[in-house]
Amino acid sequence: MSLTRSETPLAGAPIEVRDGALVEVRDLTWRPFGRREPVLSGVSLRIEPGSHVLLAGPSGAGKSTLLRALAGVLTTTESGDFSGSVLVDGAPPAGSSVGLMMQDPDDALVAGRAGRDVAFGPESFGMPPDEIWSRVRTALASVGFPYDEDRPTNALSGGETQRLALAGVLALTPRLVLLDEPTSMLDPSSAAIVREAITSAVRASGATLVMVEHELSAVVHGVDRLVVLDPEGRVSADGPVGATLDTSSELLVAQGVWVPGVPAPRPLAVDRALCAPAVTRTSGASVSSDDQVLVSAESVSVTRQPRASVMSAKRHLPAVQALADVCATVRAGECVAVVGPSGAGKSTLTALLAGVDTPTLGQVRAGVALPAGSGTDAAEAIHGWTSRALAARFGWVPQQAEHVVAARTVREDVLSTSRLLGLDDEATQARVDGLLEVLGLSALSGADPHHLSGGEMRRLALAGAIAHGPSVLVLDEPSVGQDRLTWSAVAGVVVAARDAGVGVVLATHDPLLIALADRRITLSAGRVVGPGAATGQVGGPVDRPAGPVGRWAGLAGRSGPLSVLLASVVLIFGAAFISDLRTALIAFGIQIALAPVVLGIGRPPWFRLLPGLFAVLSVGFSNWLLSPGHELSTGALAGLRVAFFVLPGVLLAARIDPSTLGDHLGQRLRLPARPVVAAVAALHRFESLGEQWDQLVRIRRVRGLGPGRSPLARGHHLAALTFGLLIQTLRQAGRMAVAMEARGFSAHRRTWAEPAPWFLADSLMLALGLAVAGIPLVLSRL
Amino acid sequence: MTDQRTTGSPAPSAQKPRTTRPTILATGPLMTWRGVDLITAAMLAVAFGVMFWGFDTFIYPILSTATAGFPPAGELMLGVWLIPAVVGALVIRRPGAALFTELVAANVELFLGNKWGVAVLLSAVLQGLGVELALALFRHRRFGVIVAVLGGVLAATFEIVFYEWYSYVADYSMAWKVIYLGAGMVSGAAVAGVGGWALVRGLAGTGALNAFPPGQEIRESHPV
Repeated sequence: MSLTRSETPLAGAPIEVRDGALVEVRDLTWRPFGRREPVLSGVSLRIEPGSHVLLAGPSGAGKSTLLRALAGVLTTTESGDFSGSVLVDGAPPAGSSVGLMMQDPDDALVAGRAGRDVAFGPESFGMPPDEIWSRVRTALASVGFPYDEDRPTNALSGGETQRLALAGVLALTPRLVLLDEPTSMLDPSSAAIVREAITSAVRASGATLVMVEHELSAVVHGVDRLVVLDPEGRVSADGPVGATLDTSSELLVAQGVWVPGVPAPRPLAVDRALCAPAVTRTSGASVSSDDQVLVSAESVSVTRQPRASVMSAKRHLPAVQALADVCATVRAGECVAVVGPSGAGKSTLTALLAGVDTPTLGQVRAGVALPAGSGTDAAEAIHGWTSRALAARFGWVPQQAEHVVAARTVREDVLSTSRLLGLDDEATQARVDGLLEVLGLSALSGADPHHLSGGEMRRLALAGAIAHGPSVLVLDEPSVGQDRLTWSAVAGVVVAARDAGVGVVLATHDPLLIALADRRITLSAGRVVGPGAATGQVGGPVDRPAGPVGRWAGLAGRSGPLSVLLASVVLIFGAAFISDLRTALIAFGIQIALAPVVLGIGRPPWFRLLPGLFAVLSVGFSNWLLSPGHELSTGALAGLRVAFFVLPGVLLAARIDPSTLGDHLGQRLRLPARPVVAAVAALHRFESLGEQWDQLVRIRRVRGLGPGRSPLARGHHLAALTFGLLIQTLRQAGRMAVAMEARGFSAHRRTWAEPAPWFLADSLMLALGLAVAGIPLVLSRL
Repeated sequence: MTDQRTTGSPAPSAQKPRTTRPTILATGPLMTWRGVDLITAAMLAVAFGVMFWGFDTFIYPILSTATAGFPPAGELMLGVWLIPAVVGALVIRRPGAALFTELVAANVELFLGNKWGVAVLLSAVLQGLGVELALALFRHRRFGVIVAVLGGVLAATFEIVFYEWYSYVADYSMAWKVIYLGAGMVSGAAVAGVGGWALVRGLAGTGALNAFPPGQEIRESHPV
């Protein structure tokens, strides 16, 4: 542990700092094109080597922007007017001396296995493989990563991913470490553990640290200086933590900063009428608690089968149990908090209670207090309701609130579900305007929802979920990213809805919000546990069975991806020489005979072959139909010609691992490294993009925007989903680019952590491919 | 690492006539891809890959069964697979963008399993080159709907004339081959050309393309 404060060197002398970097920011002003006001305005800071600085301020004050400027990646995704200077050890920030860790650790993931992910930075800076792997091991150990280098990155929890991301930063032994809300995605207990791991790892490295953190109380003891930015992007306070908090506490609270030691904010008083259900059931005299049930989950279980994955096409992915035998009820006029550690199944349970997910076992039904919509059978499980019927009674804000955009302006967006349901327009508009006012969105009512900040987007989603007067309001982490002032507004809406008779369900880590609830459901590893029960580890098997052991896996099983790919490609050209049925039959017969040698012994994967067989049939049929002579043999010939390269190609492609193929393309074929690396990193996102698609489908359903019956409506629905997914993709690509550039993506001549060997099997594979491809040519000459 | 002072594209000068929207070119030397260009093109391709997977699995079998009696009609769907090339080219605006985007999208199909096997890579190269040719004909200075439609048509033409005529439809009579080509060209123009162009415009309007020329054009025409 070293916190050496080197004295400032004499002017002109080379800076000699053993550990941390000296940071000098002079009059930094940054205005992105398209904004009138600068995000950062005249910021000047001098950060001594080895010091630990906490950067605070209300949301939108430019904290993340300042970190990006310090990392030298400000202009990676944005362009604008930049003035002033940023110097790290006397030079513009560049190279491996600065490490930036962004808010969402998922944005930093670039590889399928943990070790390879950490290796990304060292690879970018052209280090030799030996050094890369020694750095990887050191970095993983320093953050307390609990698994080995081969751990699949998609089998990590949020906290583990956070540690991995930090290891990826530390592997470059940066002298300046920049952390952007490193624990905002975690539940409080995981956050505390990860925070401790971060602090000790950074202290051990001796690097200068600048950290942005929302939750000041958790980190103030670990830092020696507090810098506060105001909403205009200027430094409004700067000094030792204690003194600065004492002198500017009032100002900070007024700006909405969560200052430690200041009493928690209270929910805003919100007019109940703004949140009242559109339809209420007067349940006569009896007010037994059963009469009040709006919705109930009857021993529901959810088992998730992972979707087909690009990266694991040949591997069997086990199903994961997200929820096991859970019962839950929601009554009118109560607020239920669903709590538990990250990954315990909170989001799954809330999605079930909102009718947007389907239980594998058990049912979620409407209770007697929930008036069914027209055309809906109340006895039917709610996941089977039509989109309109569901929208009329339910409101849902998912954890990824940025997915909820239903119209072109903020106001239209909040109005959209009410309009679809045909509610009285004048009253609805008054209600919508009231909600926008309460949630601090009035000034933005004409803005495009896509331009809102994360916190604003979440409040917009809340307004859109309650504006049409649902009887059940389900909110997943509604207070994330809110400052003190906006927290009060969100909490105020929750309380007003409850008091107006809405059944409110909150999945949250926020202790202040949990305190507002009437009742808790505590989940752990997918099961309901008593309050205070020990919290288990996130459920579900993640270990993957290795491929068949001992059995002959065929020549393809012993070859690298490149020879397999090339052998498949040459068959396409060989097929062009198939010109008579005899040649076609002999060539295809030889292929079938060789199949066990190349592909190994076992049952052919019919499921994978089916589309290819279908293609062969359709080609055969259409060539018979549209050929000049309409001869059956013509069709057979055309079908076999396609079969000659399609069927082997389909089966061989299943043997190729995209990551390994990337290594081979870069090292063997010497393709430019950056496009290859970008493509492999993007292919790793296939699964998460698929999940985002599912989420968009759910949101449209609960907002009443589900597809109608007509093909036109379905087409429109698909177009809207496509558009939504592309917007998410582009935003994610921008964040990935910043994270990758901060690890030197474009910096240097890349080296490769893993070799791309070419074995005898590869030569044999390629030779066999060429030989088979040559059969038609030889036969046609005979 | 990026030099922070080389900020973005040149904002058009104030004297520029307001009537024509300026065409903004890619930042820096045309051949020098930024990291964000590569990652965005690859991510767009994977997102299209997700949609192709859905299309291949749920929609295409229905449509291709429906058009089984008259196979050239099936070629009216070709444009769907050409969209990544057109969108990649219009967003990134650098030589190679169409080829790269289409190739990565084809890789998604390849690894997931598809009906044509490794041939999807060959198709992707031909389709990408078709769009590249259209952009090169305009010297990478025009990115409007005309260029997009030409790109879609050329992509379809390359795919059919250099590949499908020798494989899938090799034994069709010449007349049918030409009809088949015509169907592909119409689809390339309408679905990939007009559709891809409209998609890029729509995305630019949401601010999601602010790091790229189409987003900057929108922003310059409506200053906030």
